[in-house]
Amino acid sequence: MPTKADFTSKPAIGGYRPPISLTERQRRVLDAFADEIVPPGGGFPAPSEVGVAGFVARYVAPDGQPAKWFPFFAQAEFTGWLDGFDDRFLTAGADHRITVIQGIEARDPDWFGRIRNMVYSAYYSTPEVVKAINRELVAGRDYRLTPLPYGYSDRMEDWDQSLLARVKGSYTRTGDVVRVDLKGMV
Amino acid sequence: MQRSNDTDVLVIGAGPTGAAMSKLLSDHGIKVICLEQGDWLNVMDHPHFYDGWELERMRGWRWEPNNRQFPEDYPTSGQMPQMMMGVGGSTLHYAAAWPRFKPVDFRKGTEHGLEGTIDWPISFEELEPYMNLNDAEIGISRLVGDPSAPLAPEGWGPVNKGHKIGNKLAAGFDRLGWHWWPSTNAVLTRDKGSRLACNDCGNCLAGCPRGSIASADITYWPKALANGVDLRTHARVEQVTMKDGLASGAVYIDRLTGARHEVKARIVVMCCNAVGTPRLLLMSDQNGRGDGLANSGGMVGRHMMFHAWAYEDFWFDEPLEGFKGPEPAVIYCQEFYHTDVSRGFVNGFSLQVGTALGAAQSAMGTNTGHVAPWGAGHRQFFNDHFARHALIYVQAEDLPVASNRVKLDHDLTDTDGLPAAHVHWRMHDNDRRMVEWGQKRAREVAEAAGGMTDHKSSGVCDVNGTGPGAHLMGTCRMGNSPADSVTNKFNQTWDIPNLFIADGSALTTGGSVSPTNMIQALTVRCADYIRRRHSDILSQRKTPSNADAPAL
Repeated sequence: MPTKADFTSKPAIGGYRPPISLTERQRRVLDAFADEIVPPGGGFPAPSEVGVAGFVARYVAPDGQPAKWFPFFAQAEFTGWLDGFDDRFLTAGADHRITVIQGIEARDPDWFGRIRNMVYSAYYSTPEVVKAINRELVAGRDYRLTPLPYGYSDRMEDWDQSLLARVKGSYTRTGDVVRVDLKGMV
Repeated sequence: MQRSNDTDVLVIGAGPTGAAMSKLLSDHGIKVICLEQGDWLNVMDHPHFYDGWELERMRGWRWEPNNRQFPEDYPTSGQMPQMMMGVGGSTLHYAAAWPRFKPVDFRKGTEHGLEGTIDWPISFEELEPYMNLNDAEIGISRLVGDPSAPLAPEGWGPVNKGHKIGNKLAAGFDRLGWHWWPSTNAVLTRDKGSRLACNDCGNCLAGCPRGSIASADITYWPKALANGVDLRTHARVEQVTMKDGLASGAVYIDRLTGARHEVKARIVVMCCNAVGTPRLLLMSDQNGRGDGLANSGGMVGRHMMFHAWAYEDFWFDEPLEGFKGPEPAVIYCQEFYHTDVSRGFVNGFSLQVGTALGAAQSAMGTNTGHVAPWGAGHRQFFNDHFARHALIYVQAEDLPVASNRVKLDHDLTDTDGLPAAHVHWRMHDNDRRMVEWGQKRAREVAEAAGGMTDHKSSGVCDVNGTGPGAHLMGTCRMGNSPADSVTNKFNQTWDIPNLFIADGSALTTGGSVSPTNMIQALTVRCADYIRRRHSDILSQRKTPSNADAPAL
């Protein structure tokens, strides 16, 4: 339950400015983590190739600001979490990284769900991935990075008039409303 | 220049009803002051142009004040209502589905009378002219000819296109022989003044920077301001004041300075929605008994309705491109709108077809938490689900149960120290049975459409799902006598003749459709009454019965 002290500010669109700075190692850990969450392949790039770590960092609340909006990551907590990965996470193979991530998921599913969703949000909000969607998926041929300014009116199909012509329906007029027999309820 | 703090009519709240009330009264030279605790929304506050547009929906564009926590929001406890503070209110952030109630909705007391259900004191036919006036004012899109409802006039523009989702699900309804119709939306499909026609960008529920969606800040407010209405933003009302048995105005706190001001008025109109209005009435206690204003019958805050709800996400073996077009309302099916007791419940529901957002939301679970797996299985899952989705939601009329109510929570306060609203809502067993029955019908439609590959349900609200619908209704309902309601048939409180309630609180029943259309039409009617009967109202010391009230 929030208290009145929480009702004091609005989040900036696009994340905090300036965003927090990640150390080179923290960035490498986040890249390695993200690359296991969304493995590259099938014509789609790796998260580390498209700047996922930078996107995530924009939404981590800098020190001194409340982490009260999704993903609810405060700078010290988040960078501390990244610092907690040992060097083997960076140097060992994917099998080890997957085992480590499975452990995080099992120990703290709430935290894991938030960082997983941030990786998904970041990854699918990059121009490179949108281009991959356009190229690889028939359902996403004309999907755009942002809804506006262009919209999709030039790509919309109109209603099937043959279906509309068959619609049937009725309604009860005001004067025809009568008491129902509640004994009829099964 | 010093502002005058004396006015003919004080309107509290600048949302869809406060806007309509202010504009329509000022059209006729009535002096209006409107107090609004929020601010104007800037067009650049919308996320549509940013790469993280989907993520922003989970941050500052959340619907619940408790999750948003803006300075103008007030907290709530209990069931979390969805509402927005600001000029335009919750229409800044709404589906803009614009269906009408049906005639039977006004006669549910006659039909079954369960759990405090009463007839409206007015009929569909009495409200219908005001629906038409309101539709023309704000600009809607409609396909005329739905056989399941009384004939409605042409909209400002043609109905939104259905695209692949619309035609896919329409085929499902058609194969079952069930009613369906393209949704009427408060969305422009051709330009209107400075507002641009919808370009099918698909992100309706984060507001509309093009002005296509009829939010009250761009429909009624520009004209109200041109008429000279004194709209005061950042003005949080602390108390409605009384003198000699009549409402005399209100005291508000300027949120920017902390200073208190008093506005004196001959008539006060509450337009704060079905949570804010009972909260403020209860906060405006005059006698120390804690029962608030207009509450001699103990009815203020009771009979809260939200709509009982379930989301059903379906995925298909073909592209449906749900990132295009109006997001929340493509088709409505009212095959099961009317009561049929053989189903095991009274009242009925609509099946609404909606779309999805973009790629990020598809990965994060769409509407029902169907999250893409991480790791090796991610690519296949995403590729099989993205833009192959259709949403069907069950929107069911909930009974106006008296114990479902808004109260004050003195243990939780807003930033000015005013008590929070506590919202209690438990779904009635009748409504649970209805939603469960409706979920099965939704699945039948998807199966009839053909090619369904996956399905996930949100569960039933208040049972194994999330919260109920977004619609705030009924907490100061209009009725037939002080024993069954808070206001008479002209929104005039039984206890205080110059205190009116003109928002979702006044709805007697909730139908099974999105209610903003009816709420705003009811306000247009109330404004017409206040204008026409202004002198009568000012001379009244006792609120007339429905039979004795001067006619419109």
